[in-house]
Amino acid sequence: MDSNNFIKKATKKLRRHQHVLTKETGVTCSAAPTTNLGICNTGAVNGLTEETIIENFHHFGPLERILLIPGKSCAFVSYKNQTSAIKAFESANATLKIAQGGKPVYLTYVEALPEATHDKIYDRLPPGLTIIEDFISEQEEHVLISLCNFSQISGMKHRQVRHFGYEFRYDINNVDKDKPLPEKIPNECNSLLERLPISFHPDQLTVNHYNPGQGIPPHIDTHSAFEDPILSLSLNSAVVMEFKNKETVCVLLPRRSLLIMSGESRYAWTHGIIPRKYDFCYSGEGCNAFERGIRVSFTFRKVRQGECDCTFHRFCDSRQKNKIGADLAHKLENQHVHDVYEDIAGHFSETRHKPWPNVLNFVNNLAVGSVLVDVGCGNGKYFGYKKEIIELGTDRSFKLNDVCKERGFEVFTGNCLSLPLKDEIADAVISIAVIHHLSTEERRLKAVSEIARVLRLGGEGLICVWAKQQVKNHEKSTYIKQDRKNRRNDEIRVLEGVNLPVHTNRTDFNHSDVLVPWKLKNQEVTFLRFYHVFEEGELDQLCEKVGGLSLVKSYYDQGNYCVQFKKI
Amino acid sequence: MKLLTHNMLTSKCMKAVTVGYPLAINASDVRVSEVDFNPDFIAKIIPKVDWAVLWNAAESIGQLEGLPKEIVENYENDQDFLKKAHHVLLEVDVINGELICPETGRKFPINNGIPNLLLNEDEV
Repeated sequence: MDSNNFIKKATKKLRRHQHVLTKETGVTCSAAPTTNLGICNTGAVNGLTEETIIENFHHFGPLERILLIPGKSCAFVSYKNQTSAIKAFESANATLKIAQGGKPVYLTYVEALPEATHDKIYDRLPPGLTIIEDFISEQEEHVLISLCNFSQISGMKHRQVRHFGYEFRYDINNVDKDKPLPEKIPNECNSLLERLPISFHPDQLTVNHYNPGQGIPPHIDTHSAFEDPILSLSLNSAVVMEFKNKETVCVLLPRRSLLIMSGESRYAWTHGIIPRKYDFCYSGEGCNAFERGIRVSFTFRKVRQGECDCTFHRFCDSRQKNKIGADLAHKLENQHVHDVYEDIAGHFSETRHKPWPNVLNFVNNLAVGSVLVDVGCGNGKYFGYKKEIIELGTDRSFKLNDVCKERGFEVFTGNCLSLPLKDEIADAVISIAVIHHLSTEERRLKAVSEIARVLRLGGEGLICVWAKQQVKNHEKSTYIKQDRKNRRNDEIRVLEGVNLPVHTNRTDFNHSDVLVPWKLKNQEVTFLRFYHVFEEGELDQLCEKVGGLSLVKSYYDQGNYCVQFKKI
Repeated sequence: MKLLTHNMLTSKCMKAVTVGYPLAINASDVRVSEVDFNPDFIAKIIPKVDWAVLWNAAESIGQLEGLPKEIVENYENDQDFLKKAHHVLLEVDVINGELICPETGRKFPINNGIPNLLLNEDEV
C-alpha cells in the first residue's frame, strides 16, 4: 500500500468517524483547528476514563474540559488555547493507542462541545464542609510526614494506615473505646491542634499513606465512633475527594489544606477517593487536571462516648441498631433468647440462686397480703423470702418454670409482651434481668406497659436491666472483675440479615445490641443469648414513655440499671 | 395452678377478645396439699379476690367443700369461713387439664401444675 493510498484510507475512515460523531452528539466537526477535540472512536461505553484522557492529553497544555458521555463511544477534550489543541491533534491522531483493543484513536476538531451537564458537581461544597487552604506551612508538612515510618506499618490493600490514640478497627467499623493505644497523638501535632477551629481536643489520629493510584472506598465515618466534626490534613499531594449523597460533589483537597467535615457532610454524605493516578476538577479557571503524588493524610477525630444523637437517622448506626423489624425481633428472640434458655435452664438455675440485695429489700418491704408478680421469674429466685404475701411468677421458659414449680412456687408460662393477667391485680411487680432480652424499643416499651397495666394504683414496680456501662466511678462491676483471662471473640454473627457482634464475656460492652455467649460446663457448645444493654437513663426514659408511672428511685447496681416506680 | 392464680388470669391479650375472664377450667388431675393456715393473711387476701369467680371455679372442679357463695359478714373473725377460703385459695392445685377462653374457646393446657398461656404471634 503506497502512502497516497494510506492517506486516502485514513481520510475515509476519519469522515466515517466524524459522521458518526455528529449523528451521536450533534456536534459540528471542523476542518480548521479549534480548541476542542472530539475523540471519535472510543468513549465511556468502551471503558475510556477521564483518568486516561488526562494522562494522555494534559501535557499538551492546560485543559478546559473533559467530556465523557454515558453510553457513548466518543469523548471530548477542550483546551484553553488552540495551540495546545493543535499539538494534541498532531501527536495523537491515529497514533495514540487508547481505543478499545489497543487501537489508535481518531481525533477531529469540533466547533463546540455538545450540550451536556456534568454528572458531578464541582462548583459547590456539601453542606457543613469547609476547606482551609495553606493550613500548615511547608516546614510543618515536612515534620508531620517524617513522623510516620511507613515502611514498618501495616499495609492495607489500597493504602497504608497508622493509628494513634485509639485503633480504628475496620472489621467492626469502630474504635475499641476501652482499649486506648499506648501511642498517643504525637506532640509534634500540638501546635496545629491548637489552631483547629473546634471546641474539643482530638484524641484519635489516623494517618493514611496513599501511593498514586490508591484510593479509599466511599464511606461515612461511623456515627457512634466519633464526634462531629472530623478534620483531615492533606500532605505532599493534592487529591480530589468525592462526596456523595443524592448527588456527587468533587472537592479538590489542595496540598497542606485542612478539610473539616461537620454536620450534614460528616453524618449524611459518604466521602471517598477514586483509585487513579490522575485527578481533575473544575473551577473558574477551567479544568484542573494533575498527576497525583504520594499523599499522606492526617485525620484527627474525637472518640465519641455514648451513642450518636444526630438527626440523620438513616445513616446513623446508633439508630440502626433499633431497626430490627417486628417479625425479625420475634425470630431473633425465639432463637437467641427462648431457645437458649430452654437449653441452658439447668445450668442457669444452678448458677442463679443468690438474690440481689436491692431486689430482696424491695420484696421484703411489701405489706402482708400483697400480691407480688415476678415477670420473668426464672427459677423463682426472689420467692419464699417474704412470708404472708402472694407470689405469682411467670416466665417464657418451660424448664425454668418447672424448676420454679418444683420449689413450690406458683407460676404460669407467659410472655411479658402480653401478660395474661387482669388489670390492676398486683401490689408489686418485679422484672429482673428480663426486658434487656427484647430486641426492639417498641417491645421493651410494651413490656413496661404490661407491668404498669397489672399494677394497682399506688402499686410499685422494680425493673432491672443490664447496663452497657460496666465500670462506674472507676469501680468495675463484679461481672467485669470475674474476667479470668484475656479472651477475644468478637466476630460478627449474622442472623437472618441482622448482624450482631458476639460479646467477649467479662469485658465492657462496645455495642448496645449484642449476643452474649453462655458456655455449659464440660461442653464445647456455646449458646448465644441476645441482649440489649441499656445506656444510662434509657430505662428511666422507657418508664416515662409508658406514662402513669412516677419514678421512686433510679440507681446503678453492679453493672445493672434499676428503676423503682409507683403507678399513679 | 392454684385457684387464687386462676382468679387473676385472663385471655384478654388475645386478638378480638374483650374481657377474656374468667377462664373456664377443665381439670383432669387436681391435687390437694395441706398449707399452713394463717387466718390474718387469708383475711387480707379475700378483698383482692373476685369471689364469684373463685366460687364457680371451685364448684367446676368439685372442690367447694361448703364454701359459701357469698363472702360472709365480718369474715375477718370467722375462722370457719377463713379456713374454707384458705382451702380453696391455696390448697387446691390443678395439676393437669386446661383453661378455656370464654370468648374464643381457645384452650390453654395445664401440665404439671403450670398453665401455659403463651399465645402464637398471630393470636395477639
